[in-house]
Amino acid sequence: MRKSIFSSVFFVLVVCMCMCFVLADDPTPTVNQSDETAGDSKGTAPYAVSEDKELKGTHVELKTPAPVEQPIETANKNKGIAETPAVSESKEPEGTKDTNVESNTPAPVEQAVNAVNAEGESKSTSTVYAVNEDVELGDNNLKIEAPSVRDPFQPYNRGVFVFNDKAYYYVIRPVYKGYNKVVPEKARLSVRNFFSNIRMPGRFLNCLFQGKINGAATELARFVINSTLGLGGLFDPAKSLLHLDKQNEDFGQTLAKANMGPGFYIEWPFLGSSNVRDTIGYIGDLAMDPLSILSFIINPLIAGGTSGYNTFNDISVDGGDTYESVTKSAVDPYIALQDAYQQNRIKKIKE
Amino acid sequence: MKCRKMMLGIGVGMCVLLFTSAFSLAIEPGKLLMETVDKGFIVLKNPSLGGVEKTQERRQALWKEISFVFNFEEMSKRALGQHWKKRSSEEKKEFVELFTNILKDAYIGKTDTYNGEKIVLLREKQDSEYAVVQTKFVTKNGTEIAVDYSMLNNGGEWKIYDVVIEGVSMINNYRSQFYNILLKSPYETLVKRMKEKKTEGETATAAK
Repeated sequence: MRKSIFSSVFFVLVVCMCMCFVLADDPTPTVNQSDETAGDSKGTAPYAVSEDKELKGTHVELKTPAPVEQPIETANKNKGIAETPAVSESKEPEGTKDTNVESNTPAPVEQAVNAVNAEGESKSTSTVYAVNEDVELGDNNLKIEAPSVRDPFQPYNRGVFVFNDKAYYYVIRPVYKGYNKVVPEKARLSVRNFFSNIRMPGRFLNCLFQGKINGAATELARFVINSTLGLGGLFDPAKSLLHLDKQNEDFGQTLAKANMGPGFYIEWPFLGSSNVRDTIGYIGDLAMDPLSILSFIINPLIAGGTSGYNTFNDISVDGGDTYESVTKSAVDPYIALQDAYQQNRIKKIKE
Repeated sequence: MKCRKMMLGIGVGMCVLLFTSAFSLAIEPGKLLMETVDKGFIVLKNPSLGGVEKTQERRQALWKEISFVFNFEEMSKRALGQHWKKRSSEEKKEFVELFTNILKDAYIGKTDTYNGEKIVLLREKQDSEYAVVQTKFVTKNGTEIAVDYSMLNNGGEWKIYDVVIEGVSMINNYRSQFYNILLKSPYETLVKRMKEKKTEGETATAAK
């Protein structure tokens, strides 16, 4: 029995190695070959990808990419938009096969489909993203047909966006361009490092709240090193010498980790993009911010001013560029910023 | 019998590993990407193409070197999502052209301020059809920006269909915009706005 096992494994290995050399130049048949074998042995392949290929191979007509989560995703979609015949449309935006529903749909029905899609999306948002989390490969693009941001106060938000945009281009940008000319970049980086070092408690506590013991330890080590070797936080030897990365954890992320949903989108004057959760998070972070103590010792104006200067300095280092690159190339800058904010927050929460 | 199946499975697993390594020797998306990036940097570092007055020339030279690595049709398809199928082939062609121009303006325009930034290859992951190449963009002051390139195998040729910067997928970002526009207005409005964007970009470059 045992002998036969080993001999069969050995045989398969030898055969495969031969094939490997023969087919090395031509990837397609190689892959097909491995598919067939994987199919025989029922998914003992080393990583998920080849399993999916098996799935793809057997159901050729389902030619949707994003193999890894295909089944789950379909289930999700079905939950959201169950009894509509147009489901297939949202499942396969790639257009490998045309459904009858779609080709002769009159306009009003199309609208209805859109509405249904939007609804389905907003309901299953959290699930969709939860599923997406582990996947790096393939295509998570075709998943989210409708943007999943809830934005019931869009007219108000758009107004604030226009205001912020004007404030940026007519006030903040000219001022920081001048500031950049006067203050060398190294000095501005040191200002950023200094404030970042002072604000360590917030990141440290949020690491603890999220159960990231390593993160908390890193923050503690960074604080000790940068306060001493880094001359009171002006420099960042913890990163440059020891490769200890800053842990960008905030209270909004802590709330998200505690399963709080994002709520609706809010565009705050001056502060910019946020949502219900991150606004609460912002207040929480203020409470953990040592700069807030200044307002009790000296006065709130000084504290606010210092914190404002910190933000301004950050914009002058790279925040302004980020804002411009998101909005300048957009067809609808408001949506572009909103979507970029949401995508970036999701990444940060995942980390 | 069960045991035998398991062993066979392990054997198959090893084979698959071997195949993938052999396969990645044949074409490597990460290598292709980094070679393209290097070609781009050669143009940007070329002193005869430096300076503000050479902007147009430099942009064109750069575009020649790097544009082949992008799959603009795939990008357009994904950015339009479910609306893609409803378009006629002429409309599709026009859309690809408009969208390519927007992306070109957005990304070539950023290279005007090139100042010794670096791109570092971190990891790559691939199966037969898809690949993700993770890189790190390092600015001169040491700020690190995570940039992932999603690539698709077009019959042996790897091409980029999405760029993800700090978690923000470019294609998802445009799809949100297109979706929102198409929710309220007809397709023609979207085309009109994209054309406006194009002229806007042209005047912006002309002004520089």
